[in-house]
Amino acid sequence: MKFCKGESHLNKQELMQLEQLLEQVQKPARYIGGEMNAVQKDWDKVDTTFAFCFPDTYDIAMSHLGMKILYHLINLREDALCERVCMPAADMADLMREKDVPLFSLESRKALNHFDIVGFTLQYEMSFTNILEMLNLGRIPVYAKDRNDTFPIVVAGGPCAFNPEPLAPFIDAFMIGDGEDVMNELIDVIRDGKKQGLTKMNILRNLAKVEGVYVPALYDAAYNEDGTLSSFTPNDPAAPAVVKKRVVKDLSAAVYPDSIPVPYTEIVHDRMVLEIMRGCTRGCRFCQAGMLYRPVRERSMDRLLELADKLQQSTGYEEMSLSSLSSGDFTCLPELISELMKRYKEKRVSVSLPSMRIDNIVKQSLEETQKVKKSGLTLAPEAGTQRLRDVINKGVTEEDLIRAVSDAFESGWSSVKLYFMMGLPTETDEDLQGIGDLARKVVRAYYAMPKEKRTKGVMVTCSASVFVPKPFTPFQWAAQDTIETVHEKQAALRQYLKQKCVNFKWHESHLSMLEACIARGDRRIGDVIYTAWKMGCRLDGWNEHFKFDKWLEAFEKCHLDPAFYAYRERPYEELLPWQFIDAGVSQEYLKRENEKAKAGAITPDCRHGCNGCGLQKWHVCDFVENPPLKDKPHRAEVAN
Amino acid sequence: MKMLVIFEKTPRLRHIGHLDLMRAMQRALRRSGLPIAFSQGFNPHVLLNFAAPLSVGMPGKREIMEVPLDKGVCEGDFKKMISRALPPDLPCIAVRSVDDRHPAPMASLTAACYTAEFEHLPENFADTVSAFLEQKEIPAIRKTKSGMKPCDIRPMIHELAVEGNTLSMTLSLCEKATCKPDLLLSSLFEFAGMERPNALITRQQLLGGDAPNFMPLEML
Ligand code: SF4
Repeated sequence: MKFCKGESHLNKQELMQLEQLLEQVQKPARYIGGEMNAVQKDWDKVDTTFAFCFPDTYDIAMSHLGMKILYHLINLREDALCERVCMPAADMADLMREKDVPLFSLESRKALNHFDIVGFTLQYEMSFTNILEMLNLGRIPVYAKDRNDTFPIVVAGGPCAFNPEPLAPFIDAFMIGDGEDVMNELIDVIRDGKKQGLTKMNILRNLAKVEGVYVPALYDAAYNEDGTLSSFTPNDPAAPAVVKKRVVKDLSAAVYPDSIPVPYTEIVHDRMVLEIMRGCTRGCRFCQAGMLYRPVRERSMDRLLELADKLQQSTGYEEMSLSSLSSGDFTCLPELISELMKRYKEKRVSVSLPSMRIDNIVKQSLEETQKVKKSGLTLAPEAGTQRLRDVINKGVTEEDLIRAVSDAFESGWSSVKLYFMMGLPTETDEDLQGIGDLARKVVRAYYAMPKEKRTKGVMVTCSASVFVPKPFTPFQWAAQDTIETVHEKQAALRQYLKQKCVNFKWHESHLSMLEACIARGDRRIGDVIYTAWKMGCRLDGWNEHFKFDKWLEAFEKCHLDPAFYAYRERPYEELLPWQFIDAGVSQEYLKRENEKAKAGAITPDCRHGCNGCGLQKWHVCDFVENPPLKDKPHRAEVAN
Repeated sequence: MKMLVIFEKTPRLRHIGHLDLMRAMQRALRRSGLPIAFSQGFNPHVLLNFAAPLSVGMPGKREIMEVPLDKGVCEGDFKKMISRALPPDLPCIAVRSVDDRHPAPMASLTAACYTAEFEHLPENFADTVSAFLEQKEIPAIRKTKSGMKPCDIRPMIHELAVEGNTLSMTLSLCEKATCKPDLLLSSLFEFAGMERPNALITRQQLLGGDAPNFMPLEML
């Protein structure tokens, strides 16, 4: 039986086994590849093969923009190919192990250990066990030190790489910052190294010289008696003491896919995505992305329209979404939306805005075309009182919020989702009550409308996640609430939200605690991840697979205390495990912001006046020269 | 006008379900630049009709879909444009233009040919098949819209032959009487007193007309 049109690279027996596995697993369509625009290159015609690994299942992986950008970028090279590899679901992973089928790429069905480079994207701390699982299923030793020259070089990048230490034992090299810039240099160094017959260690030394690359084997960490980091220093002349993040200066000139694989099976976000802007200037103090992706860079209208047309023609998608951390801030948003809607009206392509400001011009253009599904409206006030919103620098006022929901109700929406965080620094019971009050006011805003305008009745869903302090944010020193406190607060909140037309959803506090441990962990956390994985932890982000007791056991076995990582407020003097990385945003700025938070003082959006976050030193930020604005623009954020 | 498109769904894509295949074809048509027709309403979608859904897990050699068009296009141009827009595992084999009054392929469908490729079949399996076909009645339980129903599948088997390790069969496939290859194989191996081995079942051809004068559906 021959199943694949292209030549298959698993051996014949493995392939037969795989075909039988596909008969037995749930949603086999996740493992078949062969999508429109998937790039299938000839292995004999390239120097370097790169496996882009996403440590979660296909439906999540294929919704991720970063993967599409880098997949396209590598495949643009004549001398290299990039194929996709996703985490198999539990049923598939077990069967693969049982029947001895290695983890394989979607395009050529080549086993993971046949690639020159295996690259992981790090989007979420609780997917780290999946990395070990994937390496192991791909017949690659999980510890970097156990991999000799015959194994692929294992690299990683993405937002979680800004604290790479928990994964340091497993990864050969990390890329810090924008991948578009550093990826090609990394591939060049590895390609040249292999051609020259260099050892893995020497290739890694050359990689360490590339700006934005961190090679953990070239650094030593030492600890004080109390468990804190005492020193972190290079042990090799090739390794810089400070690793500087890479920044794409001109987004319009940067590579962006004009064609992306179109999945057959349904995925989380099944549409084409146009990244209009990178970075955010609002400066919410809990938000890691807002700090990591600075400075703000916009893509030009011309480039966006060119990309939109090409993407539409190459994918045939019926929906296009604009993406960025706060699309409402994009300078030419109204013009862009009306132009896109004009172009795609006839082609029946709808345009959606995942995160936007309710702004009259936008509202008008939405009403004109009637293209927006009036199902759900999402707002993120994050905290229940103005005091706490000032602490976190979330510049939304109650007035903004009520105006935004009233507007939405008037134009036909009837269900609203409100996102909150609990356990934010300085939070008290009053702030939790504030969440209840806000929900009540939103319901009231609905009933304030004349009867004939009300549709089917209002539903307000309040969702409260647990605050996780993250590196490179002003709250990177903060203590997380203990699980007990979180449970008490959840119980209180449940009471405050026992209201008509209001629904309450809360998050698993155990998962958030581990997320906090790993997010701000040091090298030793690597052993905890390994031990947890050995005890069967994987797919931790999935409720049905999360085994909290096993994780606690893993901490114990490694003689580490989760409380040390999650619940301890760290003093400014402490050497932080990620401090050797220069993310552009300076530690001084973060301290300053943390102090302002304690004082409840807000910091205005730096689009209207530089706040000196540290990036000005690199001369990459367009807003440094901008004069401060007198009127604060209104800031309610809306997502659909 | 309407275009009948004959395409293959390769074994690689056999796990793609019917709705997923439909979405893939709609997107291909959107990519093609052809003058396709859309449904009315809030969420307009590309109009197309398949002659018969393929079961999940089954490849099809000559599947048929009907595509209504807003403007006339010649067969050659259509084939060129749709071929460019289709992924390699859903190649277009042929097209035929028909006018709007041409009956929908689904309405003319009566039967289909399948093959089942086995790893290994016993040497005298052809004799077993002949004996199987000599039965006057072959009782089986058929899954229908209104539940499981006992029926006689003998009249729905129009052809059954062995060649090497491949079994080919022509079975009824229409509203009134459908015998799925799966049902046939179960009943055949039960008759043979054997455990049913794994096989790759492929739908080879959709048929119209009446037994024994079946015709390829796309030619009707
Ligand atoms: S350098 Fe100034 S303007 Fe630029 S992101 Fe930092 S604070 Fe904002």
